Amino acid sequence: MSENNEQRDEQGHDDGHHVNYFKIYVILLILFAISVVGPEVGELTGLRWITLITAFGIAFVKARLVVNNFMHLAWERRIAKWLLASSLILLLLFVAGVAPDVMNHEGNNWENVAAKQAVERGLAAASGYSEEEAESEGPVEEVIAAGFSAQNSFGQICATCHGVGGEGDGIAGAALDPAPASFIDPVFWQGRDRDRVITVIRDGAAAVGGSALMAPWGALYTDDQLEQMADYVMSFRPNQ
Amino acid sequence: MAHARPIATTRSATGIPTPRLAVWWILASEVVIFGGLLGAYLMHRIGHPEWAEAASHTQTWIGAVNTFVLLTSSFTAVLAHQAAEKGKGKEAAKLLAFTILGALTFLMIKSYEWTIEIMAGYTITANTFWSFYYTAAGLHALHVIAGAIIMGFIAVDAYRGRELHRVEIIGIYWHFVDVVWIFLFPLLYIAK
Repeated sequence: MSENNEQRDEQGHDDGHHVNYFKIYVILLILFAISVVGPEVGELTGLRWITLITAFGIAFVKARLVVNNFMHLAWERRIAKWLLASSLILLLLFVAGVAPDVMNHEGNNWENVAAKQAVERGLAAASGYSEEEAESEGPVEEVIAAGFSAQNSFGQICATCHGVGGEGDGIAGAALDPAPASFIDPVFWQGRDRDRVITVIRDGAAAVGGSALMAPWGALYTDDQLEQMADYVMSFRPNQ
Repeated sequence: MAHARPIATTRSATGIPTPRLAVWWILASEVVIFGGLLGAYLMHRIGHPEWAEAASHTQTWIGAVNTFVLLTSSFTAVLAHQAAEKGKGKEAAKLLAFTILGALTFLMIKSYEWTIEIMAGYTITANTFWSFYYTAAGLHALHVIAGAIIMGFIAVDAYRGRELHRVEIIGIYWHFVDVVWIFLFPLLYIAK
């Protein structure tokens, strides 16, 4: 480094530091190994603090080693440290400012309904259903994946046109011609039985000569679920 | 008139050479960019226990291999800086080439990892965890790509013994990209 000494000094480096880069590298690798093994130990023993310290505590130690010895911030002029520190302070200010709203889902006079629902949906999907189903997107698949219930599925899919109460008054049904069937109408049930309801849900009304506006939904349900759906629809039928 | 061309590297009120001061400025803004993203992720992660299920599908060993690759590339980057300080341009270029190789290895492993995940249905829209996952790792990968390209130019110059001071500048940037990954690794792969 001798021939460069004068130039280096001009550039604001004192030449007094000699870092053994290889040593730093080896220490980093050892810390890295601990940060991989540590959380495994934490999981096996059920001691969460081991995971937190080995995963996140060590990340800070590693970052410090890199910043000081590889980036040479330890020997840099103080203004560079202040520059980075002011960025960090602004960042912490931002995090501290929004943390109460993001990390809590309710407080005095407010409630984050959407976030709470997301937690519930996610936990329900995570328990006991296969990954693909739990991770699939869209409300329709979610209902199926999150534990099948004919009532929920009716509410999610059929009610859009047929209405929650099966009266044919769903929001999307208002503009349809012919109007969606009302399941509480005794006339509707004349000549219709359970098998026919199953067929219509599975293959669409067009399959039995009805309106093509009643789409086939067979792809969404297993045979067993189709029967449950039909039973639920039948439950609207008025007693005769 | 024999005016010397004003050279920015020699004028500095801070006592820090201008290129290096510039890279500190860049990093100061990067701290807010990555810090804001990771801070938002961390806060959501704590507020949403159901993410644990999604997070359990990230592949720790792939993340671990990539951590090793980046740590090693940081090591070769700092050795390149050391060589440049001694005026050994060719050696610096060689070490920068190793660092670029590290960057490419990192990116290939990342593509392999993402391919598996996307094929399994874990896309960026699957849920908010995966949105954060792809956004954070993707933004980081863009920095890896940018760093590798810049390093390529600097290595060519360094090989011819030109602009050797730039080796240190790209090194500082590269170590920062490494530091970001040091935090991304436990956040995305370890905390389950």
